[in-house]
Amino acid sequence: MSNEVRNDLKYTESHEWLKLKGDLAQIGITDHAQSELTDIVFVELPSVGKEVKKGEELCVVESVKSVSEIFSPISGKVSKVNDKLEDTPETVNESPYNEGWLVELEVQDKSEIDSLLDADSYKKTIG
Amino acid sequence: MVKRSPLYELQKKLGARFIEFAGFEMPIQYSSIKDEHLTVRKSVGLFDVSHMSNVWITGEEAEELISLTTVEDAFGVDDKKSQYTAILRKDGTVIDDTIFMHLGDKYMMIPNAGMDEIVTDWLNKKAEEHKVCAKAENVSKDYVILAVQGPKSRETLQKLTDVDLKNVGFFGCQYINLGDVDCIISHTGYTGELGFELQIAPSKKAEDVFNKILEAGNELGIKPIGLGARDTLRLEKCFILAGNEFEGGRTPLEATMSWTINWDHDFVGKEALLKQKEKGDYERLTCLECTSKGIPRHGCEIQKNGKKIGVVTSGTLSPCLNTGIAMGYCHPDYREKDSILEIIIRGKPVEAKVVKPPFVPKDWAQQN
Repeated sequence: MSNEVRNDLKYTESHEWLKLKGDLAQIGITDHAQSELTDIVFVELPSVGKEVKKGEELCVVESVKSVSEIFSPISGKVSKVNDKLEDTPETVNESPYNEGWLVELEVQDKSEIDSLLDADSYKKTIG
Repeated sequence: MVKRSPLYELQKKLGARFIEFAGFEMPIQYSSIKDEHLTVRKSVGLFDVSHMSNVWITGEEAEELISLTTVEDAFGVDDKKSQYTAILRKDGTVIDDTIFMHLGDKYMMIPNAGMDEIVTDWLNKKAEEHKVCAKAENVSKDYVILAVQGPKSRETLQKLTDVDLKNVGFFGCQYINLGDVDCIISHTGYTGELGFELQIAPSKKAEDVFNKILEAGNELGIKPIGLGARDTLRLEKCFILAGNEFEGGRTPLEATMSWTINWDHDFVGKEALLKQKEKGDYERLTCLECTSKGIPRHGCEIQKNGKKIGVVTSGTLSPCLNTGIAMGYCHPDYREKDSILEIIIRGKPVEAKVVKPPFVPKDWAQQN
């Protein structure tokens, strides 16, 4: 079981991570989440330009047996998606914090980011 | 109260993750479903399938009772042979699909998980109604069932017994001493590979057998396999999963099991089947292989040019083919080989082609 938690990221209790890059936020799922899902075989990404609210479905990640909704940690507009995952969804397993990122959002309200979990708090939720 | 296999603690130690299935907490996977799946296709895997049921059928007229309550004529099933069949209601719909084994003067039936009491009660009720001198006894709690499946399964088990397993032919069954334990072996399985299943009682002896099989298969690459891979393995071969494919009441004709029906004897449900057969326009289980990206799942609608023509009962990504595969019921007008249909996945149509079973051919491992 792998459970790496990175100090420079923000987290949700539903196992998404967020990395702020200026006005953009990169979003993915945590190492814990990919390890629980195992064998990610399909990623359905949103279209660029789509607006999502905090807590809404952002994309769908499927393992052989399960379908998991990924929820947006914040509100924003999709500025970029990691379309390489359409051919190599296993990248999410192999590199959840780097090459396996899912979506980039234009941040609407930075205060939403402050309310996310920091690395220590997230670590506690996954025990 | 959720039931556990007597092997639960051992499986936990081996790294299993568990799910609840039909009232049992069973391993869904150990390493990964894909890896376990390919292990069974290419070498050998060990499954605990103790959630399946065990029912003894005994009495002077045991054959009569089986013939009355299944689509098979049990008088034609030789000693040391097992048979796949179905138990029907009067309206022709399937109560359960099952295997029964002819073991001397008695028969052991293996109903699906959670079906033990339903099947036992049904058989005893029919015995009483038709004055058949036979009875069914639910002994599910006494047995652990192990399945050893894959091209190296025979080689693995042969190390643990003096009986020449080449003599246990396809669907053969017999008593055997294996790993110093007396049990029942059958050349059966749910993976489409060479494979054997073991019925072990008392169940406390099973842990020892489980460990001995893992040890015997070690050099051949054996792994313990969970129910996740069991499901993908059976679906690639278009084998029916009772809880999915019979949901809502389906007849063996609809489930494309007509090859199992022995029409030359009388059985509960026969009249209804004859009527349906004559009418002919019933939905039939159909195998669909996605030609574009997407993974069909249970409950997805099947359409032709935007019109609903059926529903998916089982769907997954095929670990061997790396495409979405599904089984579902379609009207006969739309299920001709190579027809292109659409499966609606999260509101979007994904193209799929009608194929003849199985999705994955027998020699897949040799070619890949």
